[in-house]
Amino acid sequence: MSSSAITVVIISFTLGTLLALLTIPILVWMERRVASLIQDRIGPNRTNIFGFRLGGIVQSFADVVKLLLKEEYYPAHITTGRWLFMFAPIITFVAALLAFMAIPFADTLNINGEMLRVQPLPIDFGVFWYMAIGAVGVLGVIFGGWMSHNKYALLGAARAGSMVISYELPLGLSILSFIITYNTVDFNVMVHFQTGTALGFLPAWGIFIQPLASIILIIALFAETNRNPFTVAEGESEIVAGYMTEHTAMKFAMYFMGEYVAMNTASAVIITMVFGGYQLPYFATEDLLTHFSTFAVIIMIVLPLFIYGFIKWMQKNNRVKETLSSDGGRAFETRFFTIAFIVMGVVLEFILLYLAFISQSDLERSIYIAVVQVAIFVMKLMLFNLFFIIIRWTLPRFRYDQVQTLGWKYLLPLSLVNIFITAIVVVGASL
Amino acid sequence: MLDFNTLETIVFSILTLFMVGGSLVMITSKQTIFSAFGFLLAMIALGGMFALLNNRFLSIAQIMVSVGAIVILSMLTILTVNAKEENMPEEKNKFILISISAIIVSPFTFLLYKALTTLPEHFTKMQTINSKVIGSLLFSEWVLPFEILSILLMSAMLGAIIIAKDKLKGENS
Repeated sequence: MSSSAITVVIISFTLGTLLALLTIPILVWMERRVASLIQDRIGPNRTNIFGFRLGGIVQSFADVVKLLLKEEYYPAHITTGRWLFMFAPIITFVAALLAFMAIPFADTLNINGEMLRVQPLPIDFGVFWYMAIGAVGVLGVIFGGWMSHNKYALLGAARAGSMVISYELPLGLSILSFIITYNTVDFNVMVHFQTGTALGFLPAWGIFIQPLASIILIIALFAETNRNPFTVAEGESEIVAGYMTEHTAMKFAMYFMGEYVAMNTASAVIITMVFGGYQLPYFATEDLLTHFSTFAVIIMIVLPLFIYGFIKWMQKNNRVKETLSSDGGRAFETRFFTIAFIVMGVVLEFILLYLAFISQSDLERSIYIAVVQVAIFVMKLMLFNLFFIIIRWTLPRFRYDQVQTLGWKYLLPLSLVNIFITAIVVVGASL
Repeated sequence: MLDFNTLETIVFSILTLFMVGGSLVMITSKQTIFSAFGFLLAMIALGGMFALLNNRFLSIAQIMVSVGAIVILSMLTILTVNAKEENMPEEKNKFILISISAIIVSPFTFLLYKALTTLPEHFTKMQTINSKVIGSLLFSEWVLPFEILSILLMSAMLGAIIIAKDKLKGENS
């Protein structure tokens, strides 16, 4: 292995870990702010470190500190197997984290003839990896609920188990129809398949090529992440907190964070399989490389506009009523971030100027494109996470028997029919 | 500095430890949940064994099928039955019986050992997973075992339904 290969592996692994773990506080913040927006209130925005609130994100870090310092409480009736009671949340968390590691964040880099994947785990069977590891997560839920020796927890675990068998089949079958269409189990090749156009004007994304399978996939992944409208295992209006009724402090936090990591992973899988992954719609990586100067100039025009808009938005929103005597350092925070964003914009403009007109190195350009693709990926990821969150705060929960009916009676036959049609079309097209 | 062979031996030993330990826990533990956990450990370690033999497809399929389907289904069954520790039959000489039966089947174990040690040379190496190759192999060379397996599964399912139906009838009358 050359040094560039090792560098790329380390960078993509770090990127994957950061994307999975550092998005947790942001997602928790997003969830609370979107919930507040929908329920017509403000949400957390007071916690700060030296006046920096970041719009309330600091609150999530404060919550983590609180959970870390809380008393470790064990129910007295758990006599044997306390280690399994503690270990169960870790299974859920680690499974969600590991499943995220097979997602490609950018196109394969060509460094001096070496093809290097920008993927934390450089494997070419990412779909199988996700299906195998993603299914382990629910075991943590079942073990935790069972070890609690509590009626609510046991009910939650039983519901989780019954839900798994009702959504796993449609999930696997819809993924199977994607595998037939794309003819691969490699996430990166799947993204490559989705470049270009379908029907002349639409981007060739999975949702336009396989609409039915895409919808089934999205519904099944909503169920897999245990989020609304599929929170039957928690069901806080029926069975207290379901499987995590007896879990406190960091053990609860593991379940809680595992849910957000699973949501992030599900969004990443949906984006990669259905919404074109890290690619810009219509443009393949090769197009961007051949027309690099045009692409760079467009970004150079769009970037200042975007930064200007963001700064204006921040200045408008990050302040208090004029009747209040102290603003708690908000003016300082706004000033600081205004300067920081302007400096960042200027630096980026100079880098782009250098790449577009002075440097002719293909390597630098392809690295720049990879960075842009990571940015696009993160943007799509956050948009889809927002979709997850909006769904949670707008839809009521399914009853557990309704989930099973949905899985067995509607999604399973639909996905079987879809596989049948897909196979006919694919075989017919290859004749 | 560790060379590759030592590393392989170390990983193999750890996996074996998990496998044997998990299987023993599965058989001997009184609470069904620990049996399920032991089963889970043994299955994941088995997946690791396949990975050590350089067969990615089998190792991933092992985790997908055994952990993702079989363990979860068996756990769901145990949950529905709600087997409590006090309802279990008392097995006083459990460990003595296990060791005696282990001694009795030891010739068979030796045979199994001999068969398994010659296996790695015939093991298919599959570095990448090509869905087309697997599909065409499954429907050409391995079509008979595939169909026999599906008949077996079908009969098992039918048996389960018939057993459940008889019980329901008995309860109604």
